[in-house]
Amino acid sequence: MISCATFRATFPVSVDDAQVLEHLRSCDVCLTFAVEHDPDVMFRAVGGGDPIPPGGLDAFVGDVMREVRMRSGSRSTGPKESALWRRIAIAAALSAVVSSGALFYQSRSAIPGVPLTIERAAMTSVIASSRPVIENYESDSATIIEVPTAAGEDVQVVMVFDESLPADL
Amino acid sequence: MIATNDPVAPDDRQLVETIRGGNAEAFEELVRRKTSKVYALCYRIIGNAEDAKDVAQLVFIKLWENLARYDPQYAFDTWLYRMVTNVGIDFIRSRQSRDNAVNSNLRLVKTSFDEEQTVTMQRKEIESVFNDISSVLSPKQKTIFVMREMEDLASPEIAKILGCRESTVRNHLFNARKLLQQQLHKRYPEYAQLWRSR
Repeated sequence: MISCATFRATFPVSVDDAQVLEHLRSCDVCLTFAVEHDPDVMFRAVGGGDPIPPGGLDAFVGDVMREVRMRSGSRSTGPKESALWRRIAIAAALSAVVSSGALFYQSRSAIPGVPLTIERAAMTSVIASSRPVIENYESDSATIIEVPTAAGEDVQVVMVFDESLPADL
Repeated sequence: MIATNDPVAPDDRQLVETIRGGNAEAFEELVRRKTSKVYALCYRIIGNAEDAKDVAQLVFIKLWENLARYDPQYAFDTWLYRMVTNVGIDFIRSRQSRDNAVNSNLRLVKTSFDEEQTVTMQRKEIESVFNDISSVLSPKQKTIFVMREMEDLASPEIAKILGCRESTVRNHLFNARKLLQQQLHKRYPEYAQLWRSR
């Protein structure tokens, strides 16, 4: 490193010289001298050097390499697996939407009183005849699904949906 | 470390070629070689050791992921510094949006000081003053100022790193110095007297 005398002799002219900067950054007395002559160099005094990250160089490099290896490993298998799971999830969601839509459409079209199937109507009839609950029902807000018996006798009410009824009926 | 019989260590370009050939140990060597420069720049741009460490690590991870894009006809350090400045500037912007410069005026303005008081320069104090007042600079201004004044890079080199014209670099430097002086006058009059007495 250059001497203080050399620094003071050359400072204002050759502020970009590496040796002058090195001296500026290591000698407190000359730093004060330099700033008095040229305040613009003040922040240059905190530059240079080889700072080491907290924890040390080995720990830093180790952390970087661990992350790099992890990413390299996950790149070879991760995206494929996640793509497969994503496809399965999308397929499941789509099939759920399609089936629930179809069921909803079927139930809506069944409201006018057309039986879904003869077998289901017959089974419902058996259940209804063994446990009669409602004989007459009148309501403006109710949705009533009626299913005739297999023998074509009187219509039996099998389902009543009425939001005005108490929940514990 | 790379096992080599060659007493002369491979230069950056050779090292990058080795890494591209699938040698992870060569990448470790590159990280060791560049950590100090990368961390120094991150630390001076960000002003906080722990954040600078995280950002420097992120730079190396991005370096690993983008090494295939490096064109060996350009200096490796220029390309690396561009990555550092991009990640660093992004970090400052996200932090600024979080903090919204809340801390920029935390130091109470001194209303009086001894005109005769001599300023003894202490590097730690200067560093702390810089971290404090540089919050008024835009991320790009600060990055350019740090590269020029603290990392000793020449304006043409900074222009290459940032992909802009030299005149843009000089403008940013001029404005950065002006803003820093204004902040010194406002918040650190004991330092600002140095400019007054010129």
